[in-house]
This record gives sequence, structure tokens and C-alpha cells, in this order.
Amino acid sequence: MTRRSTFLITMLCFGFAFLYIPILSMIVYSFNGSRLATVWGGFSTKWYVSLFQNQQVWDALILSLQIALISASIATILGTMAGITLARFTKFRGRTLFSGLVIAPLVMPEVITGISMLVFFILMADWVGWPGSRGFTTITLAHITFCMVFVTTIVQARMLQADRAIEEAAMDLGSRPWQVMFDVTLPVIFPAILSGWLLAFTISLDDVVISSFVTGPGNTTLPLLVWSKVKLGVTPDINALATLMVVTVGLGVLAAGIILTRAESRRLREERLAFRAND
Amino acid sequence: MDKHPLRRWFDLKGWRALLIGVPYLWLILFFLLPFLIVVVMSVATNTPTAPPFSIGGEHPWVNLGPFSRVFTDSLYLRAFMTSVLNAALTAMLCLLIGYPMALALTRVSRGWRTILLMLVILPFWTSFLLRVYAWMGLMGKNSWFNGLLTDSWNFLVPLDWAVKSVPLMNTNFAVVLVMVYTYLPFMILPLYASLERLDPTLDEAAMDLGSRPHQVFWDVTLPQSIPGIVAGGMLVFIPAAGELVIPTLVGNASQPMIGKIIQDEFGQARDWPMASAVAVALLVLMVIPTMLYSHYQARAEGSK
Amino acid sequence: MSEPFLRIDRVSKHFGTFQAVQDVTLDIAKGEIFGLLGGSGCGKTTLLRMLAGFEEPTAGRIFLDGRDMAGVPPWERPVHMMFQSYALFPHMTVEKNIAYGLKHERALTRTQRADRVAEMLDLVQLTAFAGRKPHQISGGQRQRVALARALARQPKLLLLDEPLAALDKKLREHTQFELMSIQERTGVTFIVVTHDQEEAMTLSDRIAVMDRGQVMQVGTPTEIYEFPASRFVAGFIGSVNSFDATVLSRSADGLRLDVPALGGEVTARDVPAAVPGQGVTLAIRPEKLRITKDRPEGGNAVAGQVKDLAYFGKDSLYRIALPGALVQAHAVNARRGDEGARVADWDDTVWVAFDPSAAIVLVD
Repeated sequence: MTRRSTFLITMLCFGFAFLYIPILSMIVYSFNGSRLATVWGGFSTKWYVSLFQNQQVWDALILSLQIALISASIATILGTMAGITLARFTKFRGRTLFSGLVIAPLVMPEVITGISMLVFFILMADWVGWPGSRGFTTITLAHITFCMVFVTTIVQARMLQADRAIEEAAMDLGSRPWQVMFDVTLPVIFPAILSGWLLAFTISLDDVVISSFVTGPGNTTLPLLVWSKVKLGVTPDINALATLMVVTVGLGVLAAGIILTRAESRRLREERLAFRAND
Repeated sequence: MDKHPLRRWFDLKGWRALLIGVPYLWLILFFLLPFLIVVVMSVATNTPTAPPFSIGGEHPWVNLGPFSRVFTDSLYLRAFMTSVLNAALTAMLCLLIGYPMALALTRVSRGWRTILLMLVILPFWTSFLLRVYAWMGLMGKNSWFNGLLTDSWNFLVPLDWAVKSVPLMNTNFAVVLVMVYTYLPFMILPLYASLERLDPTLDEAAMDLGSRPHQVFWDVTLPQSIPGIVAGGMLVFIPAAGELVIPTLVGNASQPMIGKIIQDEFGQARDWPMASAVAVALLVLMVIPTMLYSHYQARAEGSK
Repeated sequence: MSEPFLRIDRVSKHFGTFQAVQDVTLDIAKGEIFGLLGGSGCGKTTLLRMLAGFEEPTAGRIFLDGRDMAGVPPWERPVHMMFQSYALFPHMTVEKNIAYGLKHERALTRTQRADRVAEMLDLVQLTAFAGRKPHQISGGQRQRVALARALARQPKLLLLDEPLAALDKKLREHTQFELMSIQERTGVTFIVVTHDQEEAMTLSDRIAVMDRGQVMQVGTPTEIYEFPASRFVAGFIGSVNSFDATVLSRSADGLRLDVPALGGEVTARDVPAAVPGQGVTLAIRPEKLRITKDRPEGGNAVAGQVKDLAYFGKDSLYRIALPGALVQAHAVNARRGDEGARVADWDDTVWVAFDPSAAIVLVD
């Protein structure tokens, strides 16, 4: 059923213009030949060239990717465990606190999370001599902590949808609880785990505020580098960097979306065929 | 059949304990403990030591000074007001823009819907910082967007009011505008989810009983989408109230939001107890709408 | 056999204050198809889950083949279940689904395992679909995969939770007989939970009728239908006309009863528990009432007027007003024709007759 209303369609167009004009403008101006970032001075790709020659950007990018890879992976393991726990174990001591701890980082302002982490690391260094210095390890630990709750949310929602009888069936057929998890639960919720990992990876790669608190000297992630430059104003090389990042992520999400949609429609088609088939 | 007692214990109890225990301990160590330190620090005394605070010692053991300053010093009160007003305004504007968009999304054909939904989600996956940055490019004095706004302003108003450029950057208006821009998907998605679930035959029933389309909207569609409105409002209001990046980049430095105050007290002023007290106050402020929300949700569940 | 194959001994299950199963005792023989019949919330599924090991009884014991099952986790029980939703593993093919339970049988070699899977596929006639995933086959085929998967490990006891509920009506009848023939060939003891009385009657050797956590009656389908032990069972299985009655005397023909609703005295089948002067319930199934235009000779007969009639094709349902009650009677439409061929028409005065043996006296 499609009921068209001129007002709604207009608002839809206006909304998407609002969402995309700033990004498109930024992309266009990344090809600006002028030194002044906001005044058009002819087409040029020189900012991309200078970007590729900038060792600082490369270092920051590699550090960010390393941190995102490690923290997303550990966060996915911990978050999946927590999500399964909350969806399947309805009664255990401390469940209320646990479910609170899983939501709190989602609503906690980043400034507060950042400060509390930093103070925690400083005091820990004072009391037990660890962590010796702040940087890679502290950023990764902080990212794991606030990324895992996103994974938990996704996995928990998926688990609540899943047919619990499938797990019982595996147990009934002789599998111990841990075998059930590896044989049945994890494969069935795998798409949710994968999207949890992707979300964790993106969030870690994007984080400025918390990283800015818990980082140490010489550990500049890409967002921290951008942050320090952006605070000084709009510059053409950031336009180029931003364009590259937005286009990369955009294409990735688009590709993932297309693959998922295709898989879903193929599945629907097969189901319809199976339904029509005679027994 | 396996009868080894250790294996049996692992199958029946140990596995479950492992599954619960590991993430639980992680969150206690890296989230709850740091948070409790901040809470304790909010009643400590600022000292010129490293770390710059002390607690306990001589009478009085706790120092309520920072908290009393939160409620008396106009700097903090103003910052709280600015944060709440900006966040509320942002949520409202997101609702006004997002509701028609979400409604339109439920009315377009299946193929378009998939594409458009993906376009709503897409910005969410791209860098937050760079989306803010994109607006800095638009709002600057010499940008084409500012030029367009300036020209239309000058065309519409008397000559005396003409301006060289519209002052957008470093204003509170810019903060709200960019927050609406970055948080709009948070409003559209829950709204879409609740609108999509509505039974279209209800609309048809209302029309069949003599309602005109706009009456159907007010009588049928809107009341049923209230859970989505509340959820979207929360998802926008909460992060907006604690926002730090956007006010720093496009805001007016003399009209700070609370996030900036916390950062400055902690960093520049090196007054950790004060920063902690403001942080705790902000959290209490956020707990109120969260509790109202869960109360509302519990009531909605109960009435089903 | 002195010891029954499965003994459920005074088993109860409470969830908080809710008593799901109350003091249930059942003995089930090897190779039997045993039906657990009852409405939703009667405790039949909870009882099944206790047999599978998903729930532990609050009180009482379960013995399978002489072994106490208390504390034995589901994965160690020689009991398998066919779930109502079938619970097929969506990420595995039909073949892998069936083979899944066998991977825990350490004693089997690879070829033995493959042989067993092939045998099961053959048993449920799905060899051609071995490589398909569950979403690529139809509902009836999924049901058969679930059955084959549960049978592959050769369980001592197979639990079937509403095995036919997810199938459409036409398929259900065919599948019923298929289930029975598979049970016959494998010799596995089946316990079938169902809310559908027809399904329970056709499938089961014996049935336990459950209500509010308790077993109301256990017996063969015929016993349950023809000789219900209580008003609940009589009303739950099939439809029934029931009337308040008082026992007058006992004779060679049966019990003499005073039934005000039928306007006088009738003779019913004797039950030892009834004593003269006692208030009882008289129950008669609609198909055991005969409708005639003229007064029949002997037996019980009451005059009444046809108030309503519904034509179902092979038979018709009549609603007849008797002196103090409205009764339902089924009559087979043995003759073909239009309205004239009917036994009776609207507002006709008819005689309703029944044999003393068709009238059931319920004491409770």
C-alpha cells in the first residue's frame, strides 16, 4: 500500500538534503585548488597528493586501525558473552546490577566516561604500578569497555528473538551447554555478532573524547589528529581526508546493505518455493 | 557417560559461571570502579598534589563545597540551563523534521524503503567528528552556503539591516543546528520502527468511519506512535545534554555547555573534585528522564 | 513385566505459587504410544519437559527402564524430543541435522554414522532432500526431519510435543498414519502431547486426560470416549448432552433414574458406585440419540420439537426441545435427496430415543 502525500514527500526530500548537502559540499571542496578552504579556486587533486605524503596521517591511521581491530574483537567476545547471559539466564545473583552496568555506558556522557577512566588509570598506576604509561593499552582498554555494551545490546536483542527450542533440541540430542553454544547458538546469531563487531570497530575508529582523555604522549589516533587540526578551523587537506573516510565507509555500508538485501530476498524466494512444493 | 566430577561440574555450573563472570568482572573493574572513584572524588578536597585531591584526613571527612558551588555559582547553573535547553530544543527539532520523514518512509514502495533507510543509517556509520566538520565548512563566513543565506537575508529585509555575512559560526544556534543534524537518525529510526508496526487497516477503518486523512493522523497514527516519539526523544536528549565536541567546535565560548565545564575544571583548572561534582550532578539530571522513561515503559507494558 | 518401562511416580512441579503439575502418577509400557491430552495450561507440556530433563520435578520421581532420572541432565538422558516448532538447526542441512545427535556417540565409526543417517532419511523419505537447508523444504518435510533427527540416536523414549499442530488439515491426517507406522517399525515408546482430541484418539494406544495439572482419567481411546469417569472428561472428549438425575432403583436392565429435564424416568447403564437416592449426572452422546417420527417400541423415548437443524453433508445436527432441556442429536443422512429426505424438519414433533447402554451415569 502506498499513499502519497505531497507534504510528506517534500519533507523527505528536505530531510535528505539536510543530511547530505554538508557532506557533498565537503567532498566538492576537497577538490578545491585554493588555499582558502571555503573559496572555490578551480579543480585540483593536490590535497589528496599532500595527504598521501603526510607520514603523520599514515601513522595515526595505522594506530587507529590497530586499536579498533583489537578492541572491537575483544569487545565482541565480552559483549556476546554478556548478551547471551542476559537473554538466557533470567535468575542469578547480581543480575540487576549487571543489566544496569550494560546500559550505563550507553547513556553516560563521554566526558564523564573519559574522566573516570583517566582517573582510574592514574590511581592504578599509583597504587599497583600499572599501567606504567598511558597510550595504546589504556586507549584499547577504554574502547573495549564502551564498545562491548553496544555488542551486548545487539546480541541480546537477537537472542530474545531466537527460538529457544533450538538450543534445547541440541541439548536433548546429547550436547553439553558449552557445545550447544558453539554448535548452535553462535552460528545462528552470527549475523548479529558480525554487525556488533562492525559497530564496535566503527565506534572505536571514530572515538575522540574518551581517547583524548586516556591517551599519552606520542599516541595520536586519527580522530585525535583530526580533532587537533579541526579545532584550528577548516583546511583543505582535512576536506580530502574526510572525503576519503566518508567515501570508504559509505561504500562499505552500501556493499554490506546490498549483500544483506540480496541474501534476504533469495531466502524468501527459496522459502516460497519450498512452501509450494508438494510433500 | 562421562562421570568425571570436574567435567560434570563444568557442564552443569562452571560454564554458566564463566559466561556470566568474565564480562561482569570486566565491567566492574573498568566501568563501575572508575565511576565510583569519580563519585568519591566529588566529596574530596582539591589539593596542589598529584593526584590533585585528598579525601578523609581531618574533620570534616567529606567536603561538600563543590556540590554547594554547583547549585549556587551562576557559571554552573547557566551551563546546566544551556545544556538542558539546547538538548530539549534539539530533540524537538529532530521530532519535527524526523516524524514526517519516518512517516513518509513507511509509505514508499518496498524497494525505495530499503534504499532510503540505508541512507538514513549511512551517516551514523561515518565519522561523527567529520560530520560536525562538514558543517564548519558550510557555516564559515566565505562559504557558498553562508553567501546564499546572506543574499536571501539582504534581499528580504530593509537596506539598514543588510549584513556582510550571517553570523553562524560560534553561536549557540550553530550548536543546536549541528546537534539536530548529527542526532536526526537517532530520532528517525525508533519513529520508523514504531510507525512501521502500525496496522494499515486501522487507518482504513478510521477513513471508512468518516475521518479525513489529517483526522486519521491525529486520532489514529500519532497516539500509537508515542512510544517511538519517547524513545527517539530520549536517544537525542541524553547525548545532546552531555555533548562536548559540537560546542567546542562551533559553539560560543562565553556560553558553554556542561560537558565543556567538566572538561575545563578537570583539565585547565585541575580541580578534580569540582569536575566530579558537576559530573555527578549531570548524571542525576540524566537519570530523571531515564527513570521517567522506564516508568512510562513499565506502565505501557503493564496496560497491555 | 513387573516393572513398567516408564514410571512417573507422584510427580509435582511448582513455579513459585503456580502448581503446573500436581501429584501425577503414570505407568507406561514399552512400545506404547501414549497420549497426554489437555487444554492449554493443563500441565502436559511441563510434564513432557520434566521427562526430557529441562525441568526438575518439585516432588516425586521418574524412573526410565528402572533408572531414577533425578539429576540426570538432558544431554545424558536416552530420551529425545520432537519440538512443537521442530527446532531444526537453521544453519545445517537436513543431513547434518539428522547426524547432529550421532556425533556424541563415540562408539560409532564414520561409516556407521553415515549408514544410520541414510537409514533415517530413507525412513522419512527425505533422501532426495538431504542437502537442503530447513528453510528450503516444506512444513511437512520439516516435521519429518525433526522426527528423523530425534530417532537417529535410537532413544528409549520419544517425546512429541504437538507433533501435528503446525501442519495444515489435509496433511495432518496423512502424517498421523505415517507417525504410527514409523512407531511400529522402530518400536520406540512414544509420548505424544496434544490438545487435539481427535489426534490423541487416532494416534494413541492409551490416553491420559489432564486438567489443571492433574490426570483426570487414563485409558484406551474407547474407554475414554465411551466410559468417561467424570463430567470433565465426558465434556472434554467429544460433545455430550448432560442432565441432572436422581437414582431411583437398581434392576436387571440397569439403573432407574428420575430425570426431570427428560420429563420422567429412564433406564441407564449400571455403575456400581451409584446408590438409590443419590444425585448423579446422566450423559448421552449426540450420535447415540435416535430421532423418529413415531414412538419407538421399548427403551427410553422422549417426545420433543425440532428447533434447529444444521446440514453437514454426511450427517445433520438437530437441536430438539425436550420437556426441560435442549438436546443435540446427530443423524446420518443415509438417503440422498432434498428436504424431503430428512428425518425431521423445523418445528416437527419427533421422538428422541436411546438405549440404556448408551446412557452414562457420572457419579462425581
